Amino acid sequence: MDEALAAEGLVKRYGARTAVEDLSFRVPRGSIYGVLGPNGAGKSTTLRMLVGVLRPTAGSITLLGGPVSRQTLRRVGYLPEERGLYRSMSARSAIAYLARLKGTPSRVAYKRADQLLTDHGLGKFRRKKIKTMSKGMAQKVQVLGAIAHEPDFIIFDEPFSGLDPVNQRVLEDTIRAQAAAGRTILFSTHVMEHAERLCDRILLIAQGSKAFEGTVPEALALAPSVAMLETEGDYDLAAVLGPRGFNISFDGEEHGNKRWRAKLENGHGARQLLQACVEVGAPLSLFEPARASLHEAFVALVGDKAAVRAAE
Amino acid sequence: MIAPVLLVARRDYFAYVGSWGFWIGLLTAPVIMAVLLFAPVLLARAEPPRMLTVLAERAIDGQTVRAAFAEQARQEARAIVRAFIAATAPPLEEEALAAFDAAATRAEAVSAARAVVARRAPSALAAFPNALPRYILVAPPADTIAGVKPYLSGERRLEGGGVLYGALNLRRDAAGAPVIEYWSVNLNHSDPSDIAQRAMRLEMQREALAAQGLAPAEADRLQELTPQVAAYDPRPSAGGGEVTLRQRAPFYAALALSFVLWSVVFSVANMLLTGVIEEKSNKILDTLLTSVTPLEMLIGKLLGVAAVSATLFLFWGALGGFLLSTAVTQLGSSIFGQIAAAFLEPRLIAAFLIGFVAGYLMYGSIFLALGSLCDSLQEAQTLLGPVAMVLAIPMLLVTPAIDNPNAPLVEMASWVPLFTPFLLLIRAPTGLAWTEIAGQGALVLVSVFVILLLAACVFRAGVVDQVSLASWRGRKGKG
Repeated sequence: MDEALAAEGLVKRYGARTAVEDLSFRVPRGSIYGVLGPNGAGKSTTLRMLVGVLRPTAGSITLLGGPVSRQTLRRVGYLPEERGLYRSMSARSAIAYLARLKGTPSRVAYKRADQLLTDHGLGKFRRKKIKTMSKGMAQKVQVLGAIAHEPDFIIFDEPFSGLDPVNQRVLEDTIRAQAAAGRTILFSTHVMEHAERLCDRILLIAQGSKAFEGTVPEALALAPSVAMLETEGDYDLAAVLGPRGFNISFDGEEHGNKRWRAKLENGHGARQLLQACVEVGAPLSLFEPARASLHEAFVALVGDKAAVRAAE
Repeated sequence: MIAPVLLVARRDYFAYVGSWGFWIGLLTAPVIMAVLLFAPVLLARAEPPRMLTVLAERAIDGQTVRAAFAEQARQEARAIVRAFIAATAPPLEEEALAAFDAAATRAEAVSAARAVVARRAPSALAAFPNALPRYILVAPPADTIAGVKPYLSGERRLEGGGVLYGALNLRRDAAGAPVIEYWSVNLNHSDPSDIAQRAMRLEMQREALAAQGLAPAEADRLQELTPQVAAYDPRPSAGGGEVTLRQRAPFYAALALSFVLWSVVFSVANMLLTGVIEEKSNKILDTLLTSVTPLEMLIGKLLGVAAVSATLFLFWGALGGFLLSTAVTQLGSSIFGQIAAAFLEPRLIAAFLIGFVAGYLMYGSIFLALGSLCDSLQEAQTLLGPVAMVLAIPMLLVTPAIDNPNAPLVEMASWVPLFTPFLLLIRAPTGLAWTEIAGQGALVLVSVFVILLLAACVFRAGVVDQVSLASWRGRKGKG
C-alpha cells in the first residue's frame, strides 16, 4: 500500500502522565483519514507529533516517505486546534505569509492567496484585516493558509469546531476537493457525522491508545444494528420474544402505542425478528430496521462514558 | 526565497513599524529628551519672583539681611549672564562681565552686559536672559508676625494682588544673639532662611570683632579669603594641565548615553515580551511551529526588533548627530560645544553600540522567554517585577559612579554581565585597561550565548509544551 504516513509505536509522556501510548497507524496516499476520539484522548498530541511540533517519547513516524523534517514538512499543510492569525494582517497577507513560511515564492504566494480567497467567496475581503473579520471568516482564512502552498498532505485538527452548519458543509466540500486533487487529508474530529460522510479510513483513539483502525464500514460492522418497533395496546413484546433469544428493550410510549428497541445481534437479524413477530402475532404498527451509526460503533468500542465525553 | 527566520524577523519588523505607537515613539522621544534637558531651565525662567518680607527688631539686622538678598540676586544674575555669553559668544565674556561688575545695581549690571552683547553680537541678543531675581523683598504688610500670617496663608493679598511667599522675622534673644524665624507655607524650601543665616552669621562675626575692639569690617575681609583650587589628571594622556571641561565632558556624555542605553534596552525588550504574549493569546504559535523551530522563531523575533531599534537609532542618530555637529561647529569652545563634541567621540559611540547589542540580546532573550511563559500581560507583570529590579541596579550605581567611576562597588558590578553594558559605558572615559575591557567583553559574550540557549529552552517549553505560569501554579495547587 502506498502510504503518505506511517506511525509506529508512538508514545508521548509528560512526566508521569501518558498522553499517547503505543499508537500505530498508516494513512494511504490520496485518502481522507479521520482521527476520532473523545476530548483528551490524545488526538491533538498525536497530530502535533506528526507535524514535528512535539517530539515523541518513543516510536517512529514516516511522513511522505521520509522522516519528519523541514523538507517533508514543507509538503504538509497543518491547521492546529489552537488557531489564530496576526490580527493586524490582511487576509491575503496572512495566507501568503503562511505559504511563504513553507517555501512558496512571494509573488506566487500572493497570487494563490488571491485566487483561494476568490474561489471561497472571500475575494472582496482580501484586503480586510483579520481583526475586522468574523470568527468563521478568520477560520476559513486559516484553512486557506494551510493549503496555499499546495501541500501533498493536509492535516486538520478539529477543523469543524467553531463553524456554523453552512460553513461546515463548505469545509467538507473543500476537503473533498483537495482529496480529488490527489492530496492526502488527515483530520481529527469528535463529530462522528463528518467522519462518516468524508473518511475512507478512521482511527479511533481512547485514553491515548488505539481502539480501532480501518474503514468506516468495518467500524460500523462492529456495532450491533438495531430495529425500532411499535406495538398497539398493552402488548409486551419483550416478554414474548425475550425467551426466543431476542434482545428487546422498552423505549417509551407514543399515542397509546409502545415503542421497542431491538438489538440485532447473535444471528438475530432484521428478517428473523420480523418473522418472529409474525409467528407470535404481535400487533405491530411500526417495524423500522436502522443501520448502526459511527457513534454507536464508537460506544461499542470504547464504552458509554468515553462516548458521552466525545459527544460533548 | 527567504529563510523562515528572516520571514519571522521581517513580519515582526513591519508589524512594529506599521503601528502608530512606533511613529509616536520615534517622533516624541527627541521632544521628550529636549523637554527633560531644558524644562528645568525654562521652568526656572518662567517662574515669577517670590515675594518675601523681613521684620526686624533691630534695623541693622533688617538692613544686613536685605543687603544679602540683593547681593545674592546680583551674583545669580552674573552667573546667568556668564553662562549665556559662554554658550553664545565666548569672546565677549570678559568685556561683558567687566561691564556687569562696574554697574551699581543688579538691574543696571544686567543692562550693561546686555548692551555689550547688543553692540558686539547682535544676533545673540534675542535670547539674552532677563536674569530676574528669585526673590523680591517687599515692605511688611503688618508690624508683627501675627499680622503677617494671614498674608502667608493666602487669606489676604499684598497690595497689587501679590501672594506673600515667606516672612523672615529677625529678633534677638535675652543674651542679644540673633534669632531667625522663617515663616512660610512651603515647608521644603529653606533657601531664604539659609541666605538670612549666612548674612546674620557675618553680622555676628562683625559684632564679635567689635566687642574685642577690632574693626567690624575685618569680618567682611576674612569672609573673602579663599584658596584657589585646581584639579589635575596625572595620566600622560591628560597632558599634565589643569582639568578642564573638555576633559570632564566625556563623563557627562557617558552618563547620559548609559541612561539612553538603559531606556532603549528596556523599551525594546518590553516590545518582545508584549509581542510574544500577543502571539500566545492569539494562538498563532502552533501554526508557525510546523514551519519554524522555536529557536528560529526566537532568533527571528530578536532580529525583527533589533531592526526596529536600528531604525530608531538611525533616525535619532541622524537627528542627534546633525544637532551635535552643528553645536560643535557653531559653539566649539563653549560649554555646549565641548559637551556636544564629547557625545561624538567615536569610542563612546562604539561602546554604546556594543553595549546595546549585548544588553539587547541578554535582556531581549530573557523577556522573550518570560513572555512565552505568560498568557497575559498581567501574568507577565508578576514575573517582570524581579527582572525590573535587577535592571534597575545599574541605574542605582550611577550615583557612586558619578563620584568615582572606578569605585570598588561600581568596578565589581561591571563584572556582572547583566550590568556590564551600562557600567562599562559609564567607566569608558576613565581609560580602562584593555585587559579589563577584553575580560568583561568575553564574559558578556559567553553570557549572551548561555542566556540565548537557556531562553530558547524556556521559549520552547512555553510555546510548544504550553508551559505557563498558570499551568505551573495549577499543578502546584493540585500537587
